[in-house]
This record gives sequence, structure tokens and C-alpha cells, in this order.
Amino acid sequence: MYALKASKLNIIAGILATFLLVCIHPAFGADNEVTIGIVQPLSGPNAQFGINAMHGSELVAETINAQGGIKSLGGARIKLVVADVPTPNTAAAATQRLISQNKVVGIVGTFVSSTTLGVSEVTERAGVPIVTFAFADQITERGYRYVFQVSPKGTAFGQAQLKYAIELGKAGGEAIDKIAILYEDTAYGTAQAKGLREAAVEAGIKVVVDEAYPLGITDVSSLVNKVRTSEAKIVFPVSYLNDSLLIIRTMRQQQMDIPVIGGAAGYIIPDFRKGLGDLAQNVLSVASSNHDLYPDLASRFKDKYGSFMTHEALMHAASLAVLAKAVEKAGSKDPEKVRDALASTDDCDGFARCVPGGCVRFNEAGLNTRAFPIMVQWQGEEPVTVYPKEVARAAAVWHAKSGR
Amino acid sequence: MSFIQSLIDGILIGGVYGIIATGLSLVFGVLGLVNFAHAEFLMVGMYVAWFAWHYLGLDPILAAPLSFAVVFLLGYAVQRHLLDRVMKASPTAQIFLTVGLLIVLENAALVIFGSGFRSVNVPYQVESFRLAGLFVSAPYLYAFGATLVVNLALWLFLERSWIGRGIRAVAQDPMAAILSGVDSKRTYRIAFGLGVGLTAFGGGVILPYITVSPTVGGQFVVLMFTVVVLGGLGSILGALAGGLAVGIIQSFSALFFPISLQNLVLFIIFIGVLAFRPQGLLKGA
Repeated sequence: MYALKASKLNIIAGILATFLLVCIHPAFGADNEVTIGIVQPLSGPNAQFGINAMHGSELVAETINAQGGIKSLGGARIKLVVADVPTPNTAAAATQRLISQNKVVGIVGTFVSSTTLGVSEVTERAGVPIVTFAFADQITERGYRYVFQVSPKGTAFGQAQLKYAIELGKAGGEAIDKIAILYEDTAYGTAQAKGLREAAVEAGIKVVVDEAYPLGITDVSSLVNKVRTSEAKIVFPVSYLNDSLLIIRTMRQQQMDIPVIGGAAGYIIPDFRKGLGDLAQNVLSVASSNHDLYPDLASRFKDKYGSFMTHEALMHAASLAVLAKAVEKAGSKDPEKVRDALASTDDCDGFARCVPGGCVRFNEAGLNTRAFPIMVQWQGEEPVTVYPKEVARAAAVWHAKSGR
Repeated sequence: MSFIQSLIDGILIGGVYGIIATGLSLVFGVLGLVNFAHAEFLMVGMYVAWFAWHYLGLDPILAAPLSFAVVFLLGYAVQRHLLDRVMKASPTAQIFLTVGLLIVLENAALVIFGSGFRSVNVPYQVESFRLAGLFVSAPYLYAFGATLVVNLALWLFLERSWIGRGIRAVAQDPMAAILSGVDSKRTYRIAFGLGVGLTAFGGGVILPYITVSPTVGGQFVVLMFTVVVLGGLGSILGALAGGLAVGIIQSFSALFFPISLQNLVLFIIFIGVLAFRPQGLLKGA
């Protein structure tokens, strides 16, 4: 009985202490803070990716603060205000709130393309810059002034997925003439599939299966049947986690061991390996970045959050760093000046190393022209960068027969 | 060949839809209650089986009875403490309560389990049986087998046991059942527990091929209602037939149309059934 009471008291004391902290904290540094908005899905089906991404940004903010904050603003600390945006239709209201109530100098987020489209409409009207990692083509094709994208476009990912595969196949002694494309029918899946298709036509490769499927599909056996009878040499699935597990398992059930080259998202997160175990071995995927490109930061991330630093964490780390640097350069909290500083970003050191190639420079449309997609492969517990050669950390294993 | 393959896949998948929807049908048939939270009990059942696999090393199909037991108790308590209060209230109040329950269960799962996807890892997940060029997926087959056993058990329970007779009596005519000495409140609680428990059992058996997350219910809720209405609301055999029909329709539609249209095909047939046979496929037949 006493023990119970004591623990209850503890809880109450804890809550009170938290309240006090929350109340006192802003009063301390309100004058000398730079507020940056983070927009991520922290609940709902994409939450796991959103949390990873937020952790990436947080790690960078903590590092900058520990190193003395924004120096041109007298050592101002970076304060992150996080908005949970589980679905695209909540994006506009959350963004509006960040801008009008929290007076953010800029916004970072998110990897969900359809949400980012909504967020960027609001930031464009309000004249606040947004740095994003989402890569549907429309994001930088609308002529917006305030959108900056650290990653290449979705079609570029699709093209790389195919081009890298052909080159890896060639190195492994296999000519690829027939392929299958499976993708979820979202902005992300559709854009990437388009890139794949175009690159295939260009390379003279026959697309024997080209199918969209609904997000949240629960049975892919008919889809895999089609791929099996089509005699495709490679499967390119563009999908999140649940569908990626389904596709790989169903392929193994039907005794198919042709290479699988994933389209990022579900294929390069810790849960993929947890769900598939040894079947994950040798699965290839295109990616925007990988933890082994920036081992120092990635190992700090792993110590703090317990799993390897995923590409969305790396790219949102880079996004926040780019924005913080722009604030430093502008020496101002005025979003307009920060936007101008962003537009003239040409950065090849520090956290820019999170991006393959290690540089960030935006073109007129706000697209990072220095970034390029990479290819990773599950080798052991973690994905390893295997292509292009200048950033590869290990050789690719072709004749995948993943997990066999 | 691919025709027979689709038929096999459709039947195996459909059998599982059947058991998931049987629970919903039972609840509607006995309690006259449209339970919008039903798919959330599927999610709870999946988590129970996942934890049993993770901590006890139990195969999810063997853990499914445990899912049934846990969710039966949960359902019994929900009926006892919440739904009992609205049994005589307007349908609007019932809908509000079950929709509220849906939101509470889903968000409680988010808080407790986190938003990540959890998947079991069992050897037969990637196995299949080969029959003259056809593939029979092992996890589908085992899931289908388990649902057949449970359906038989349910039928025996409803036909032979006193509680089962009580449930059927209340479903037919609550007043007459009470007059004959059936404790209707207790019967409602058992029927609700049984209904959600059966769905949770379905959650356990599909775990080898479906990943669980707090929002997994959303993938099944529309399907569940389609199956039940297709088979005839309240009819248990109808739910099974409806499940098989939905599985086969989905599987066949993928033969002729892009897979993204599989639910479109399903709902067109569904609307057709509603228009020409509103009582469902089996009811009154």
C-alpha cells in the first residue's frame, strides 16, 4: 500500500517538475532562440519513418546548440517545434499554426510527398522557406520560391534504380532484358515507377509487368503469380514496409529467386531485416543516403536511438543543417532573408556529408543539383552502400538469391 | 492454369475473411448491434499472438486460441461495462459508442505498442506446396485449416451446448428467450465476447503473412462489412460464404484487371448484390 502511494507521489512530482521545466524554459532564452518548425507524421501508418526523420533533425540541432548555437545571432539556440501531421489533409492547418503562432524562421519536413505538397502551399503564401526530403517531381516543378529539396527528384530515383541495376548486373555477368515493376499507387510510388519505366524504354528493356497496387494491400499472390509467369529477370518493387515483406515472402513461397531491387522506403529500414530475418540478405535497394557515408554521425545516432541511422534520418539531418546554416549566413530571423541565404547555399562540409556526394547547392527551382541516388544492399545486419563506385563501401553481391 | 491458381488463392484467403467476419455477423445477429470497433479487436488479437510468439516462442497459429481467450474476456468486459448501457438506446448512441471504442483502442495501441510494424518470423512463411505446377502457399493453407476447425467448433457450440442454444434463442426472439429462462444479459456478454474473440482468432492465424501495427484494423474494416452484408447480416454460414466469395472475386479480378482495381470490381459486384438480393447471398435461401 505504502509502496503504491510512494510511486503515485513520484508520478505527481514528475508531472509537476515537467510542468515547471516547460514553464521556466522559454523565459530563459526567449530572446535568443531561433525557432524552426518540424513537420512529420508521428502517428498513423508512416509514424516510424517520421520518428526516425525527427530524430535526425534533433541530433543536428543538439550538436549545433552544443557548439555554441547560431553565432551571427549571438549564439542563439535552435529550438525545434514539432507538428504531427499523420495525413496530407492535416498539413495545411499544422503549418499555418507553426507560422502564425510559433513564428518559425523556416520548416523542415517531410518525406511524405503528398503531405509536403500541402505544407509547401502554405509556406509559399506566407513567405517562409521549407527544406524537404520528399521527392515527388511536382514539389520543385511548381515554380515555388520558398521550396528547397535536398534530395534528387522521384523520377531520378526510378532511373537510378534501373540504371544501377543494369550496371551491377553487367558486372555480375547477367544481361537484363525483361523486368517487372510493382508500385503502390501514391505520389511517391507513381513518380518513381515513371522514372523506372522511362529509363527502361531508353535502355531498350522490356517491362513485362507494370502494376500499381493500393496502399495497405493484404494479399500479393496474384501479383507475384503474374511476375513469375512473365519471366522477368528482375523485380523492382516500390513500396513501404508491409507490402515489401509480403512481396518478398510470397516470391520465396513461389520459389522465385530473381534479384529484388527495392525502391527505398520499406526496403532500407531496420524493421525490414527484423521482419524477414535472413531472407533480407542481399536484397538491393535504391536509397537517398546511407549511414555508412557519415559513420561519425551515424554511430552517435545509433548510441542515442538504438538503431542504424536510416536515410530519412540522414536527409532530415542535412535539411535542418542547411536551414541552420542559412540562418547563420543571413544573421537574421527574417524568413525572407533566410530564404535568400538558402538560395545561395553552396556547401560541401559539415552535415552536408549526409547527402551522397557531400554537397548541397540549389538550382532555380530549389532542387539540390549536387545530390544523386545510391544503391545499397543488405549485407549482414545493416544495408551497405554498393554503388556508385565513388561512394561504395563494399562490392555488390549479384546473383542475389537473397537469403538462400 | 493461372485460373486454377487464382481459385486456390481466393479460396484460402476467403476462408480467413470468413472467420474474421463471422464474429461481426454473430454480434449483429444476436445483439442487433453494428460494431464499428470490430476490426480493432482483430488488431488486439494480432498483438496477443505476436507477443506470444516473441516471448513464449509460440507459433502464431497455435497462439490464436490465446488471442481468442484474451479478446473474449476483453469483449465480455466491454459488453458488461459499456455496451450493456446502450442496448436499449437509439442506434445513434450505439454507433457513437462503438466508433468511440474504435478510436480509443487504436490510439491506446499507438501509445502502448508504438507505431512500428511487427512481423513474426516462422519457417513456413516462405514455403509452399507444389501440385502439378500450382503453388499452395503454406501460411495461407494453415490459416485456412485453422479457420475450418474453428468454424466447426463454433457450429457444434451453437447447436449442442446450452449456452449456444441460449444465444440462438436470444437471436430469434429476445422476449421469448427471457420468458423461457434465458439470462439475456449474460448471453449478450458471451455472444459479444465470442464475436470479437473469433475475429481475434482470425488475427492470430493471419499473422504469418500480415504485419501488425495499430492501424491494421483499417485495412480490414470495409472488407469485413462487405463480407457480412454479402453473406446476409447475422448469418454465420453466410459470413463464411461471403468471405469465400470476396476472396475469389478479389483473386479473379486480378487475372483480368490491374490489381489496383480489385476492390472496385468487388464493390461493383457488392452493389449488384445489394440491388438484386438485399438480404444477402444465403439468408432466406
